[in-house]
Amino acid sequence: MDTLRIYLKLIRISMKARMQYRADFIVGILAIIFINAISIGSISVVVTRFVDLNGWNVWEMVFLYNLYLLGHSIFSLLFWHFTSMESYIIKGTFDQFLVRPLSPLVQLLGREIQYLGFGDVIVAVTGLALAYHKLNLHWDVWQFGYLFLIVISAAMIETAIFWLFACISFWTGRSQSTFWVIWELSTMVQQYPIDLFGKWFRVLVTGIIPVAFMNFYPAIYLLGKTDQYPHYTWILFAAPFVALVLLGLASTVWRFAINRYMSSGN
Amino acid sequence: MMIKVENLVKEYKLQNRKEGLKGTIANLFNPSFTVKRAVDDLSFEIKEGELVGYIGPNGAGKSTSIKMLTGILTPTSGTVEVNGIVPYKNRKANAQHIGVVFGQKTQLWWDVPVIDSLVLLKDIYKISDAQYKKNLNLFNDLLELHEFQNTPVRQLSLGQRMRADLAAALLHNPRMLYLDEPTIGVDIVAKEKLRNFIKEINQDQKITVILTTHDMGDIEKLCNRMMIIDHGKMIYDGNVDQIRRTFGMERMLVVEFEEELADFEVPNTKHIRSEGKRKWFQFHRLQTTPSEIITAISSRYSIVDLEVVEPEIEEMVRNIYNGELVSEEVSEG
Amino acid sequence: MRLFWSFARQSFQSRAMYRFDFWMEIISVFFSIYAVYWIWNTLFAQSPGSFEISLAQMTTYAVLGMAMETIFLPWIGPQVYISEQMKHGLLEMDLMKPVDFQFHLFARNAGETFFRFFLLFIPTLLVSAYFFDFKLPATFLDGAYFLVSVFFAYMILFGLNFLMGMISIVTINIESISWAYQGVLRFLSGQVVPLWMFPASIAGVLAVLPFQSIYYVPISLYIGELQGVDAVRAIAIQAVWVVVLMGLGRFVWSRIYSKMMVQGG
Repeated sequence: MDTLRIYLKLIRISMKARMQYRADFIVGILAIIFINAISIGSISVVVTRFVDLNGWNVWEMVFLYNLYLLGHSIFSLLFWHFTSMESYIIKGTFDQFLVRPLSPLVQLLGREIQYLGFGDVIVAVTGLALAYHKLNLHWDVWQFGYLFLIVISAAMIETAIFWLFACISFWTGRSQSTFWVIWELSTMVQQYPIDLFGKWFRVLVTGIIPVAFMNFYPAIYLLGKTDQYPHYTWILFAAPFVALVLLGLASTVWRFAINRYMSSGN
Repeated sequence: MMIKVENLVKEYKLQNRKEGLKGTIANLFNPSFTVKRAVDDLSFEIKEGELVGYIGPNGAGKSTSIKMLTGILTPTSGTVEVNGIVPYKNRKANAQHIGVVFGQKTQLWWDVPVIDSLVLLKDIYKISDAQYKKNLNLFNDLLELHEFQNTPVRQLSLGQRMRADLAAALLHNPRMLYLDEPTIGVDIVAKEKLRNFIKEINQDQKITVILTTHDMGDIEKLCNRMMIIDHGKMIYDGNVDQIRRTFGMERMLVVEFEEELADFEVPNTKHIRSEGKRKWFQFHRLQTTPSEIITAISSRYSIVDLEVVEPEIEEMVRNIYNGELVSEEVSEG
Repeated sequence: MRLFWSFARQSFQSRAMYRFDFWMEIISVFFSIYAVYWIWNTLFAQSPGSFEISLAQMTTYAVLGMAMETIFLPWIGPQVYISEQMKHGLLEMDLMKPVDFQFHLFARNAGETFFRFFLLFIPTLLVSAYFFDFKLPATFLDGAYFLVSVFFAYMILFGLNFLMGMISIVTINIESISWAYQGVLRFLSGQVVPLWMFPASIAGVLAVLPFQSIYYVPISLYIGELQGVDAVRAIAIQAVWVVVLMGLGRFVWSRIYSKMMVQGG
């Protein structure tokens, strides 16, 4: 509890620091909204022209995109720091964490708040609401509850993946470039139904870097597309479990990686 | 005993970087490594309340050994104990009673007022209200913290920033203080303030201090003991007095001429080296003065630029290898 | 010219690319190629009639669009260099060099682009030829057009990036603006979706913007979609953009420069 209290104080001070650059804050959020609008727009251009893509119509794809984005927005607001692990190590900031009597993880996560995530939230909520309306969906309370659970799980999954890959920089001093690959994969998963890309890709994003649990599988259930994918059963609901397992794995590797960093130096 | 270091060794694996296009491609496909011994069989002890200067050329292993003392790095072999704690095994316990200041880089939150950082550190180190208040008063007296405590760190002058950093490092009453280049880039007046402060907290609160620096002034003014390290080995551990005797009166005059000249002698000086149009002359302050030397030189050659410099650490290290300086025990006191 | 080569060589060598980064970049390029390859194949299978070109042309277009990003990568442009120098207060060092600022940055960037051309772009195309139906141009002329056009495209991109760099001098922080800029480049340049697939109204707007000259024009020349007079005209328009953007860059720079001199940095 003590640690949580300090974390919240760290976050508050980061917010305060961020607010010193108000213009940048607003421009940044507008930029994020703009980029997402452009991505969604260009997917729509193609899908509208061909009516659907692999059995997914435009608004189903908008839903797919924004379901991912909503989970991602939590990750990007609170856990984005893992992507800068490399520079924390190279610049010696991580060494500063180690001379304080507080867990390095808390110091890392409390370091800043990635305000651009607010832009993601705005786009994602708007996109999901529009898609819900256009697709004439009628969910019951449980399905809304499930949506909530999925968003949390998605955030945890993405966080755990970036956390794991951030650990690589303890070995190599670098991890930034692994994120290029994950981003490329994530973009594919975020924008398109993954069965489009063949079997081995599905195995990759389900079993190895399981980003598909962030949107694809839950969306099949939430959009009522189970008829199109009759052979998917339990996997549509596996996201929360995947999230827990991954977080457990990531925290173990993290501890191991810090020990290793302290014994090898940089 | 505050610090006990025995046979400390730290090895690194380094990638060999090859040059040119061929090298660039070779690096991509077939990297090769070499093992570098950054710290090589280091042993020393530091008593409570000592103020030790820790110096050496760049890359000598200073920061690696400090990292092992502060618990950031685990040694390859050998043992370290700080105040009875093995830092790398018990990092948090060790962190609770040490303070660290890196001169090149602030520990404070860059965009918020100094006082906000201090309040946060109060929570992180679990400092009681009474202790916090008492220390803040002390820093106001000695560091004039109140003058800039509401200014964001990024707007502070270098001297102010160092004062703020020192306050942050001492807020939790550490028994051990590590200072890495605390006066680097700071102007003379501010430097004097910082030195006085360090001396005062060392004497009043018996805080043990290890100070790494390139500024011989820091060592002369503050330390009674000095450790010199080179290629990871201790090459001198002893009194500063002897250094002061040997180097305190030595100065170096660097002269730049209009053209490259053959070496020549100037009375009462020792020609150390030449580099292009520049020459280095060493002299003793009691034997001659810079103006005498300049007069002697300028009567024969035209001078473009000149500068008087304090002896460099590299020069000292050279002297030690030449046997002009020998380690001796530090006298009590 | 000597000066150009020495700057270019310097940046080429200092860009001692990390082994790890190199392989990661290769992997991500292939993922992006894999993605567009499958998307177009699926769509083509769904409704071949909706395309105005053959499947082979379409996949070649898609592969080339992704592969070209290895040389047109937005993160290595002059704007990145300028904003880094600004952040560390080092821009004045560049001003002291007795070299034209824009030329200096161009040489720097050219060195790195050269490196990427041979170590990333060409290998990517070779592998793609094997796995992703990437085809050589139908005629020698198409290939020649493409090479000229790619060079102009590079100059246009440099011109735009340089202007972004000018913005960073004024605002210091361009991170958020450059995010938006990347988005524009990726989607309005025809890198992913060919211009003719956009609704006519949008396509009309894109045609008068410089972005299409960066990806759409060279790739369309390569696959033979632009022929004869159209091809020459497209290249001529590119040339005009090069002149306009480079000139604009020089103009803005000279204004900023004289202002900096007055304010003393």
